[in-house]
Amino acid sequence: MATESSDQSNLGAKFGALVNQSWMFIIFFIGFFLVWEYSVVVFDIPKYILTPPSDVVRNGWADLPKLLYFSYITGLETLLGYVVAIIVGLPLGMAIAFSSVLRRTIYPFFVCLEMTPKIAFAPLFISWLGFGLLPKVIIVFLVCFFPIVLNAILAFNSLSEELTRFCRSTGAGVWRTFLRVRLPAAMPQCFVGFKYAAINATVGAAIAEFIGSDQGLGFYIQIVTGNMRPDLAFAGIFFLTLIGLLLFGAVTLAERLIIPWHISVRRVRTT
Amino acid sequence: MPPLISIENVRKTFGSGASLVDAFGPVSLDIEEGQFVSLLGPSGCGKSTLMLMLAGLLDVTSGQIIVDGKAVKAPQTDVGIMFQDNTLVPWRTVRGNVDLQLEMRGLDPRRYKDRVLDLLGQVKLLDFADRFPHELSGGMQQRAAFCQAMVHDPHIMLLDEPLGKLDAMTRESIRTDLQSLWMTRRPTVIFVTHSIEEAVQLSSQVAVITPRPGRIDRLIDINLPFPRDLGVKNSPEFISHVREIQEIFRGYGVI
Repeated sequence: MATESSDQSNLGAKFGALVNQSWMFIIFFIGFFLVWEYSVVVFDIPKYILTPPSDVVRNGWADLPKLLYFSYITGLETLLGYVVAIIVGLPLGMAIAFSSVLRRTIYPFFVCLEMTPKIAFAPLFISWLGFGLLPKVIIVFLVCFFPIVLNAILAFNSLSEELTRFCRSTGAGVWRTFLRVRLPAAMPQCFVGFKYAAINATVGAAIAEFIGSDQGLGFYIQIVTGNMRPDLAFAGIFFLTLIGLLLFGAVTLAERLIIPWHISVRRVRTT
Repeated sequence: MPPLISIENVRKTFGSGASLVDAFGPVSLDIEEGQFVSLLGPSGCGKSTLMLMLAGLLDVTSGQIIVDGKAVKAPQTDVGIMFQDNTLVPWRTVRGNVDLQLEMRGLDPRRYKDRVLDLLGQVKLLDFADRFPHELSGGMQQRAAFCQAMVHDPHIMLLDEPLGKLDAMTRESIRTDLQSLWMTRRPTVIFVTHSIEEAVQLSSQVAVITPRPGRIDRLIDINLPFPRDLGVKNSPEFISHVREIQEIFRGYGVI
């Protein structure tokens, strides 16, 4: 049985292992920024082309209120589009997996749409819906929706033959089979879609803002680049990355909590 | 008394027209209650197909299967089934997996707690009841799967090469467990295998099946007393049964 003190020493050991595994990366990471910082000086690169990372931090800090506000806007668009994509995509994927009619009608249509670059629809939505929040949410939704729905279809269609037979031999009804076997069995593949969508969500938001917007990080990056301020563009990119990381981190955390048994997340028990 | 299971002129074909494949039969076989019957045949002979038809999970092309006086037309529920790839789900512990069989049947696992623990004890898995399948060896997983397949006390157990993926040593030890499980409750067992020794050691009857399309060539009674441990393999009857079956397969040209 694990006591509190052994938990703590366990934590210490984990931290030690983390440092052991990642010291090379940490050195590389620091080295990368040092090379950037000093090559700007050494090669005498004009500040309107490339600024050293120290300028990015200093000037980004000075512009922090605006950056934070725009992060909030872009983050909101990203989160809304992503969440709606899951709310719509997951049940729809389930329905397509279980209905032969939908599988022959909507499914091939979705496969075709998956091939089209969703970003190409962005100007259309801006022209239809204007400069506000809604067109951006829709574009994030479009970017996230297809990987979610296609992975959900795959997830709910790939129960092993043995388990299908087991379920039938128990005489359990559709609903009980779904809750106890089909749904948990489908979760890992669903999370593949959720994670892929999370990585791409901020791309959708940023590009939608490039095309038509008066606020948000995409808008900010475009404006400061036009003003020959690469330092502020980098600061904007930093916050955009941060939004993506937060979203991805949240999805990964949810995965750990929901399917701790799955091979992609489980840890070998040491007790 | 009529036999528990009656297989009457059962045939299975797949496809149609020019691509019609004769998979199995026609076969007739009566199985008495409480028997341990092995379906022994070369791979591809259709023994797994017969097992699925017995479970009502696959339709017969012609003929009929009668279980307990009723023709099999839908998936049978008074059965425990097991396959080479077990039906343990990775998100439940060993005990949770055994409970799954009960829950799927609308039974309350709390009322069967003693039975579950008793079964796990019989296959030496009591200490692993709260472990997940991936923390178990292949042999332990199959032991857990036996418990899952028989926790609801089925009349008939359909076992499709449950030991097929295990190494030789593990197989030996699990055979003993399987036999003791069978002997405590005496369900009727249909056991698909292509190991001659395994069939002779475990079964009260061995049905020798020809290469595809499988037919039952001979039904051999194995009259050695139960329980049969490893020592039985040295007995003259055991050896003569194994030789007899080997000769049959040599006749087919499969060994």
